[in-house]
Amino acid sequence: MTARGLLDGGGRLVDAVSGEVFEPEELRARVGAVAAELADVPPGVLFARTDVDVASVLRYLAAFEAHRAVALLDAGQDREVLLELVARFRPAAVLGADGDAPEGYRGGVVGGPAWVRESADGVTPHPDLAVLLPTSGSTGNPKFVRLSRSAVLANAEAIADVLGIDAAEVAPTSLPLHYSYGMSVLNSHLVRGATVVVEGSGVMGRPFWTAVEEYKITSLAGVPYHYEMLKRLKFDPAKYPSLRTITQAGGKLRDDLVVLFNDKMLAVGGRMFVMYGQTEAGPRMSTIPAERLADKIGSAGPALPGGAFVIRAEDGTETTEPDVVGEVLYRGPNVMMGYAESEAELAEGDTRHGELETGDLGRLDSDGYLHLTGRLKRIGKVFGNRVNLDDLEQLLRGSGLDLGAAAAVPAGDKVVVWVEDCAADTRKAAARTLAEKLHLHVSGFDVRDIDALPLLPSGKIDYRSLEGRA
Amino acid sequence: MALNDKLRDVFVEALGIDASVDVENLKYRDIEEWDSVGHMALVAAIEDEFDVEFATDQVIDMSSFKVAVDMLEGLGAKA
Repeated sequence: MTARGLLDGGGRLVDAVSGEVFEPEELRARVGAVAAELADVPPGVLFARTDVDVASVLRYLAAFEAHRAVALLDAGQDREVLLELVARFRPAAVLGADGDAPEGYRGGVVGGPAWVRESADGVTPHPDLAVLLPTSGSTGNPKFVRLSRSAVLANAEAIADVLGIDAAEVAPTSLPLHYSYGMSVLNSHLVRGATVVVEGSGVMGRPFWTAVEEYKITSLAGVPYHYEMLKRLKFDPAKYPSLRTITQAGGKLRDDLVVLFNDKMLAVGGRMFVMYGQTEAGPRMSTIPAERLADKIGSAGPALPGGAFVIRAEDGTETTEPDVVGEVLYRGPNVMMGYAESEAELAEGDTRHGELETGDLGRLDSDGYLHLTGRLKRIGKVFGNRVNLDDLEQLLRGSGLDLGAAAAVPAGDKVVVWVEDCAADTRKAAARTLAEKLHLHVSGFDVRDIDALPLLPSGKIDYRSLEGRA
Repeated sequence: MALNDKLRDVFVEALGIDASVDVENLKYRDIEEWDSVGHMALVAAIEDEFDVEFATDQVIDMSSFKVAVDMLEGLGAKA
């Protein structure tokens, strides 16, 4: 049965900073109090500056429960970026915004400081629209992914199903909540009456691990970089008897780390889930059942219940036959309504009709498991020859060279490959390997040393910034 | 070079911050550059520069510049 709201399942919230526990009744009351403050806000989309704290969670839940479309924005975002978005989308209010209100807005209170639009005139968001999440637009300005209420709830339920989330689960907020994976951890636990511990310091902070012990946290969600951190920390689940589930999404985790962490979890009777998604799918599309992970290393898993993958081959035909490589299409109830780059587009209905062109390349195996092979668009040119940059990175990982994390970006007629902590000799060897494997001249591969690859708030590699430096 | 000065340089370099930042009084998550990702880069850089290896608890307890100084002194690290 699909929940009508995020709080219907009786979810609980814990504030790891204050130690305050919000039982279901208390949580509903607190959310209701913030929702009541929305009555003074004119109709229209809400912006919510979102941090990993209880106030941010309450504002998001209040907007969702009050059926007000809400855009979740990084609270750490520069004021200029925020003001550009405010000017472009003219939100009815910016929740969690302090400092001087821009022209046309006054200071107000909605679960904390807010800017409230002075004019009641504005675009009325489409009635199905519930959540807007930022993504990078083609021009470099952020745009929003438009998610309907039913898509958000359907995805929360499907995730809870495949992960077996029940009321006994206790999840920490190990990811930013304005990031689709972070939001989905919150949603999928609340709808099943589980507990979410709001803790902002992350896996590198002592308070996080104190919270794991104090609140008997049962699961941990991470993107690939978190797993690099956990490896660095020599993470040992035996030290945390309650923590028996780890989940990974947000980009492909290298196979050796999947094996390492799966083995660590299996050794203590725990489990690891490797998942695949995109913000455009609200975000989850697939999850490998934990018991199949060991023999499906490298896969992205089968589609979630209610969803399906189809491969669009190069000739445009669609197939679910195994081993045909093409663009991955996903169909399911969680697919976005579309994007919004302007205020007017907030009123638009569903333009995708449940189908998402992922832009990822992949194939299905005979069990219907998806195997991703690259991005449709991450293509570089080396002396006029098309080179798939993901394949190139994969090639380096499998080269046998002792390399740190690597990221390849196009640079004119060459490819620049940034490698973490890479000595000159190794850089030469890496360039030679690429030249040999791809049958292209070695001078087309500019392998450079970098202390640490720049990352987006989501933990994914910031390729745009690297392209700027290349 | 005093240990403090060398460590200061490592902080500036690893976190990619301006040399004008008051590094000596910096705490984890005070600035956006010293987030969890920055922390990982920082720990790796300190280990390299001072030729030490931190235990798990030390990595997650390194919550300020001053704590890092104490840890390095405890490990007998030289500038």
